[in-house]
Amino acid sequence: MSHVESGAAEPLVGTRPASSPPVPAPSARAVVAPADDRQTAFFTLDHGTATVAGALVGRVDRRWRLLAATALPAGSNPDALLGLLVDRLRSVDPACAEAVGSGPGTGTEPLAAWPRLAASSAPAATLAVIAATERTRARLEEAAVGAGWNVVAGSAERTDPLVLTRLATRPGVVALLVGVADPPDADERDLAAELAVAAAGIAARRPGMRIFLAGPVPEAPLLDAWRAPIIVRLPAPAGAPGELAASTLRAALAAARGGPDDSRRAMAAAAGSLARVLGLRVEILEIGVSGAARVVALPGPADDGGIAATVQIVEVPDAALFRMDRPGSVDQIDHWFTQGLDRARLRDRLAELAIAPWSDLDADGALLRAAALRGAVERLLVATNPVLGDGGVDLVIGAGGAWSAVPGPAAAHIVADVVRRPGVVQVAIDHARLLGPIGTIADDAERDAVLADLGEDLLLPLGTIVTPRGLRPNRPVGRLVLGVGGVRSEVELVAGGLTLVDLPPGASGTAELAFRGTPELGTRGRRFQVAVSGGLGGLLLDLRDIPLRLPERPDRRRELLGTWERALWPERDA
Amino acid sequence: MTGSLELVPARALLVPRPRIRLELQPGDRVTAVVGEAVHVGEVLAERIRDPRLVEAAVPRDGADQGIPLPGTWLPGEHVLAGRRAGAPAGELLFEHGGRRRLVSGPHPDRLHAPANGRVVEVEPGVALVLEIDGPGLAATELLGEPHWGRLVLLPEESDPRLALDVALAGAVVVLPGRVDAEALARARAMGIRGAVVLSLAERDRRDLAASAARQEAGLHRLAPFGVLVLGGYLRRVFAAAVRSTLEAASGAVVGLVGDPPLLLLPADRQLPLPEPDQIVVRGGPEAGREGRWLGPGGIRRVRGGITAETGLVALDDGRTVALPIGELERFAVLAANG
Repeated sequence: MSHVESGAAEPLVGTRPASSPPVPAPSARAVVAPADDRQTAFFTLDHGTATVAGALVGRVDRRWRLLAATALPAGSNPDALLGLLVDRLRSVDPACAEAVGSGPGTGTEPLAAWPRLAASSAPAATLAVIAATERTRARLEEAAVGAGWNVVAGSAERTDPLVLTRLATRPGVVALLVGVADPPDADERDLAAELAVAAAGIAARRPGMRIFLAGPVPEAPLLDAWRAPIIVRLPAPAGAPGELAASTLRAALAAARGGPDDSRRAMAAAAGSLARVLGLRVEILEIGVSGAARVVALPGPADDGGIAATVQIVEVPDAALFRMDRPGSVDQIDHWFTQGLDRARLRDRLAELAIAPWSDLDADGALLRAAALRGAVERLLVATNPVLGDGGVDLVIGAGGAWSAVPGPAAAHIVADVVRRPGVVQVAIDHARLLGPIGTIADDAERDAVLADLGEDLLLPLGTIVTPRGLRPNRPVGRLVLGVGGVRSEVELVAGGLTLVDLPPGASGTAELAFRGTPELGTRGRRFQVAVSGGLGGLLLDLRDIPLRLPERPDRRRELLGTWERALWPERDA
Repeated sequence: MTGSLELVPARALLVPRPRIRLELQPGDRVTAVVGEAVHVGEVLAERIRDPRLVEAAVPRDGADQGIPLPGTWLPGEHVLAGRRAGAPAGELLFEHGGRRRLVSGPHPDRLHAPANGRVVEVEPGVALVLEIDGPGLAATELLGEPHWGRLVLLPEESDPRLALDVALAGAVVVLPGRVDAEALARARAMGIRGAVVLSLAERDRRDLAASAARQEAGLHRLAPFGVLVLGGYLRRVFAAAVRSTLEAASGAVVGLVGDPPLLLLPADRQLPLPEPDQIVVRGGPEAGREGRWLGPGGIRRVRGGITAETGLVALDDGRTVALPIGELERFAVLAANG
């Protein structure tokens, strides 16, 4: 057991992964205290489409601590929510309330006195894209979708001006993107001027509409319009499909869509801070009712000797939780749903949830949400893998209200089911929805310090998932020896299923895996020693196929999925 | 407890003097004028049915009064002997390279005012905005076209297939029981102008949309017909506040509109307002029940192992229960939109 294969996975908790570049220890910059020491507490508010989540963060023993948090349906009064948190703190821990200045008789009114960090995720707005050629339309559309817009698109090459005008003036369209390549392709030169005139015609019909011009589209016709529109110049579409993440046009469109408190962009900033503070490769899977985003943040050495982070974010409106307007989307949810329900009824239940996402919480409503969440994560990964890749990370974080609507172990199971990568990964959820609001802190050092201070309060650990690839199914394939605090336990490994090992939150240890074959676990080998950390789901040894193969017959598939689900979600049948 | 009541999301019941948008398309000819008062049923625009794009040369200098803007309706040019053919009447899409692109075609359909109000704005080829005199009952969706008619409430649990007859022609009927596409098709065939339903399943919505598309494609169209959905997709019962509002408006001429989805009610009817602390349970085992808000109930574990913020509600049947706040809603009268 002492022998470890060369290149085996290395400890994860707070240390550098084997395959990533060398990362220095957290710099002094990353642990400085927030500027104003007199500040005793602050609120965070994350306004989602379905829910509003609030938290009360206070300074206790010279550290920021999460003191209270909850979530309510969108439409609830945020002041009432924050008042509820203050009342709860006062009744549960009067001494702590006193310490942060909200105790009875302190004369401080927390709702007025304490600052608020607020982020909001607006429903994806619709952008009309018109281009000279189909080629340019595809590039513009790809950039706009990656920036989180819902898109309707057409090109002068295929569509007549009347249809383009109707497309751009349909209800719900809030902005128009007109673009040509730079330099224009031969077939675009003549059409660029006509496109600008068509855009001016659209602007005259829809006063106040924002017009984005990408590439050398003449703006003179638009300036001549009776009610001059708001014109924003953007970079021309560049690069080939697959270079989305680096697209400056995509970044500009993302900035134009969200305001300064846009929670998805703020989450990208928070992911960068986490990568710097923890020195881990961090991936956030954010799923909302109005959209979704995947963020990958990789730590690396900074020029000043500290830690820098490379952050990439791609938004995918089609991966919104209950989005069903794409072919096959209901089938995809049905594929994961463990209860038998006819298709029409299933569609109605999902449509009802899209209207009232916070309702139907208990019984099979929760199972339906879990199935919808699996479908959404699946769509998110399919859409983003060409851009962000499918490489391993050290920490996967589920963010957004959808992850809190299932028990923690069930959330870990969802990650295991859908994120099928060989390797070892820690899983956590942003349970108090702090990442978005804290991500709105503009200063990197201050944001890093707050996140470092919050420490274990920030994320709810779900556990560690170990997923080897290349095992022969339904037979003993090796064994695991788990060492936690000097206590060693052994588990026989049988391929084809999920094995759960109890490892509570806060516990960490070392797992030594000895296989009969040479599966892939980050790298190929027979013996591995990995650091594991506990959580609500414990240690999940996922010895199922990669990709996951499920029976074709719906009843058998439901039975198998139900068996796994029951193991991690025993209360589901209560 | 009034402060904690705001933990429960409020749903709009009535919107006073709402601003509504009636959709236009390029080529429609608007006859209403901004600022003008309009009455229910008045023609606001002539609608184009089969728009076509026509290219025409820009007239010589001085032929137009200034340079027309996109969206301007241009009269047809007379055909002169030995000269080029004159351009037909139509709406200017844009002008480029010495040529005009016009949208032209026959206008056999009319857009009528669904309620009394005032024209606030005209966006040519996009929408016509009206400010309505009376309040609007909030809904979630209009399937079909805006329309108006006398409001008739069918009895609770009545079978629409039996209750609908030709005596209701020209009316907007409220169907409180189970509704399907067949019942709605029957209503349309009887000359009923619209229906108000609490919920409609996706399958019935698609059948209704397919039926509307067939009508749209037909040469001789039936009269417009709209279905206003007040709730969602799953069957529920009308909340007391909604039911009493509909009862108060019964017999009056009401309008159905989709942007925003509203049932436009008459300005001269006294409508009951909901009690501020009246709570409606929208989901879970107590769905459909109503009661009074008592206060926060704390974080509790519900069936299935989910933890949720709850509220204490004194149900009208005398029980006091703690229910997830997500399953609760209350009604509020909102300020005018727009």
